[in-house]
Amino acid sequence: MTSHFLYLVIFAALVSAVFAALQRQEPREQVRFGLLLFGAFIASALVLGWLMLPLPIGGR
Amino acid sequence: MRTATADRSPALDRGTLWMLCVAAWLVPGSAHLWLRRTRAGLVFLVALPLMFAIGLALHGRLFPFEAGEPLALLAACADLGIGLPYFLAWLSGAGAGSVTAASYEYGNSYLIVAGLLNMLVVLDACDIALGRK
Repeated sequence: MTSHFLYLVIFAALVSAVFAALQRQEPREQVRFGLLLFGAFIASALVLGWLMLPLPIGGR
Repeated sequence: MRTATADRSPALDRGTLWMLCVAAWLVPGSAHLWLRRTRAGLVFLVALPLMFAIGLALHGRLFPFEAGEPLALLAACADLGIGLPYFLAWLSGAGAGSVTAASYEYGNSYLIVAGLLNMLVVLDACDIALGRK
């Protein structure tokens, strides 16, 4: 089964974890920053997907 | 504040710094573990090879180094950024890629981003070792 949304969520979670560990030093700050990034990833993907919904796909 | 940060980072000579950077490239997170940034090191050690493995599982492609295709060349450089997992995948014949798979582009994104993130991790380790962070 192919779930594009699941791939997106896993990708967002892993990238957010790495950036949080890179950019913040304190554990509490890392968690906050990581969750913020994760939410931003998911929200922006949903908004962009919704905006692109009217566009034609594959010539249809 | 700067003194406190510098105290946590051992003073490294040039040779050790190079070794640290090579180790950071080969094994994601190893340099942070070396520099006693255990939490960050463990995150990198788990997350980056996992991203790379997922990319391979999603039928992503390890791009070849072909000078005639600049974009593929850039992707190949990004793939190589993950270090040892790249060579293990290459030796085991993984990463051929399957263009017809629905997850092909996702796989490529995972592979490329894992390599690029590891390059950032190497730079971060250098900054820590030099006392800049």
